[in-house]
Amino acid sequence: MIIKGGIVYDPANGIFGEEMDICIENGRIAEDAGGEVIDARGLLVMPGGVDAHSHIAGPKLNTGRIMRPDDSRMGTEPRTRVCRPSTGYTVPNCYAIGYRYARLGYTTAFEAATPIIEARHTHEELEEIPIVDKGALTLFGSNWTVMECVRENDMDMLAAYVAWGLRAARGYGVKIVNPGGGEAWGFGSNVKSVHDPVPHFDVTPAQIIRALAEVNERLRLPHSIHLHFNNLGRPGNYTTAIETLELLKDIKPSRMRQVVHVAHMQFSAYGGTGWKDFESKASAIAEYFNQTNHATMDLGQIIFGPATTMTADAPLEYANARIGHQKWSNHDIELEESSGVVPWVYTRKMPVNAVQWAIGLELALLTKDPWKVVMTTDHPNGGPFVNYPEIISLLMSREKREEEMKTLHEVVRSRSTLPSIEREMDWSEIVIMTRAAPARILGLEDKGHLGIGADGDVSIYNIRPDEIDPSKDHAVVKAGMSRAKYTIKGGAVVVRDGEIVAAPQGRTYWVDAAVPESDMDRMLSSLKEKFERYYSIRMSNYMVQDAYVPNPVVVNAGMQPLKEVI
Amino acid sequence: MRTITIKLPQYHGVPVEAERISPDVLAGLSIREISEIEVWQGNRRLRLSDIFLISGDTDPDKPENTRVVVEGDLSKVKRLGEGMSAGVMEIIGDAGMHAGNSMRGGVLRIKGDAGDWLGREMRGGRIEVDGNAGNYAGAGYRGERCGMRGGEIIIKGNAGAFLGEHLCGGTIEVMGDAGDFPGCANQGGIIRIHGHANLPGAEMVKGSITAGSARVLPSFAYEDIVELGDMTYKKYVGDLVENGKGELYIASGQIGK
Repeated sequence: MIIKGGIVYDPANGIFGEEMDICIENGRIAEDAGGEVIDARGLLVMPGGVDAHSHIAGPKLNTGRIMRPDDSRMGTEPRTRVCRPSTGYTVPNCYAIGYRYARLGYTTAFEAATPIIEARHTHEELEEIPIVDKGALTLFGSNWTVMECVRENDMDMLAAYVAWGLRAARGYGVKIVNPGGGEAWGFGSNVKSVHDPVPHFDVTPAQIIRALAEVNERLRLPHSIHLHFNNLGRPGNYTTAIETLELLKDIKPSRMRQVVHVAHMQFSAYGGTGWKDFESKASAIAEYFNQTNHATMDLGQIIFGPATTMTADAPLEYANARIGHQKWSNHDIELEESSGVVPWVYTRKMPVNAVQWAIGLELALLTKDPWKVVMTTDHPNGGPFVNYPEIISLLMSREKREEEMKTLHEVVRSRSTLPSIEREMDWSEIVIMTRAAPARILGLEDKGHLGIGADGDVSIYNIRPDEIDPSKDHAVVKAGMSRAKYTIKGGAVVVRDGEIVAAPQGRTYWVDAAVPESDMDRMLSSLKEKFERYYSIRMSNYMVQDAYVPNPVVVNAGMQPLKEVI
Repeated sequence: MRTITIKLPQYHGVPVEAERISPDVLAGLSIREISEIEVWQGNRRLRLSDIFLISGDTDPDKPENTRVVVEGDLSKVKRLGEGMSAGVMEIIGDAGMHAGNSMRGGVLRIKGDAGDWLGREMRGGRIEVDGNAGNYAGAGYRGERCGMRGGEIIIKGNAGAFLGEHLCGGTIEVMGDAGDFPGCANQGGIIRIHGHANLPGAEMVKGSITAGSARVLPSFAYEDIVELGDMTYKKYVGDLVENGKGELYIASGQIGK
């Protein structure tokens, strides 16, 4: 396949809006190729989108769907020759997730949280999401075995457990959600700072985070730890955020990437002492990111309208349900985690929501290096991912931001710095935030760029970058980004003129990390005992079998040095 | 006023989805075009004239000047008058489920009984039912937090269970009795039941419910006897489980007797 004459943005390879041809051969970008010729003269061409943090599969999604029959009435699309029927807006069905990502020009999406015990269900759902490549991060933050290893300061055993956990869950990386808080929730409480001991375990969140970060680097995992802070969603929590990041400053990364990726930063950049004097502290957070190089973040931008919050942070969900008088699902996941699901609506005239909206944009615009900030809505916590084009048009146009702010509660002007920010992003920065940076942060070597050998994932939009001014023509930007003219996945056209024309099955990434056999044996003998005594199922029923991951991409990691990721 | 008559000559066991039978859709079409309108019966796609006999004035007009008369045993014909915003629609016979869904304006008259979900999530206009209504009249559909938001529903017979569930506005009047839990989770609408009501106002936070007689939930607090018109009522406040400020009035006597 040859894509002719497009205006190509590939910042990872130093290409910023050059007119050039792209060739794809055998599913990968190549020097030259034959076959189909796609005329992209003058159109915007970039690598396929990569979503580094989204909730797209697993039992919490299904809980959301069961709780929200009202949501399934939104966004219904009938079956077509190619597509199965779609339903839902905040918690769409599996097929709709694949089609909608593809229509936005995305070809990769990672599920951000799966407890090991429920990973089989996660993979069953991932398999039903067509087109996109995917992977799932595995939860370790409130896990009994993790906390016991941390308490005993047994890093060898912890490394063995993490490696085993990733293999058992066919997981891609280490996710940490409100470390210790999930376990404390089992006793009806929470941890209030990173130095607050977890009841009955005599460890602090700070110790858990540091130990998992050290083990993550010892195992040379492609992705860093992926952290959802303590005190998330609470006024004044930006101090917790900075305190936690400070803990990790001296850890040396084992690969060319960050040491910690912060999930949905917007929910952890809050000032004030309560909801009455709630304000944005995005500037303090952005300042911290500008001065340090060990951390990256995703936005967790909120979108006005309905959302469904779902997280392993169960105490947070309890608080949400009480504040919003909402339906609430609470789930205790044996020795591994907790979780909750609560429907939500973000309202323009609500002061807190208006400031939250501003915080996401402030974080993106005040952080100088776009490689440190990736675009997400923490789908469906901040709002559904189908709204990414809205965020792109806001980041590219100050005029659009001003127009939006006129429709919001007036505190958005006094309690955030957004009105004074003049920066307007260009296409290179957008491509970094939605493609190149998420791929690099996740350690996906073949994604997010168009270099020779990269995956043949390309999106082409009905936007002429040489003719339009995104700061003025923001409506054109939003409309163009909403329906890709072409999405090419692994060298196959899956979207043409905004319509799905093919729905191939994507692949699932997981990480197989090697540890010394003696450590693994020692860990397994203690784990077996735990299963006998505490778990409701047997260990032999636990591992995700290969049959559940029919299209795997196994990424090898482990203690022996590996090739550096570029 | 333009009148369009749609007759159902024979009863159908397989339900028909007839959301397109409303003044808004039909007003601008000629009789011939109306005949060609697509409807679904079960999993079969049909033309309107395959099932119905259509007659009346053929010149297109505005919805507000249009009267649609539907005749026959329509108890298996669903979604009549869905989303209508103007004009008049008369159903001579029983109407199936979901009649007058999401209605925004105009008048829907049902000369027989109405099925379940009558006027669910309606926002304006008026529905009159000569007979009884099924369950969930004026309610929100599964999972919705807001049912009827405006307009009025008048039921001359009895209403089924969950009348006006999640009511967020508007008025419902029932001349006969209401089933279980009328006005549950009421968020600010008005319900008047002239007959008996069983356990009204569960989880209500705002709004008012009046009943001729009722079995009252224990989570309602009795306040006082009040006079409204020529009647006296026992006034209750609740539902206190929700810290509710809803008002419940149960008739206790006629003034001067």
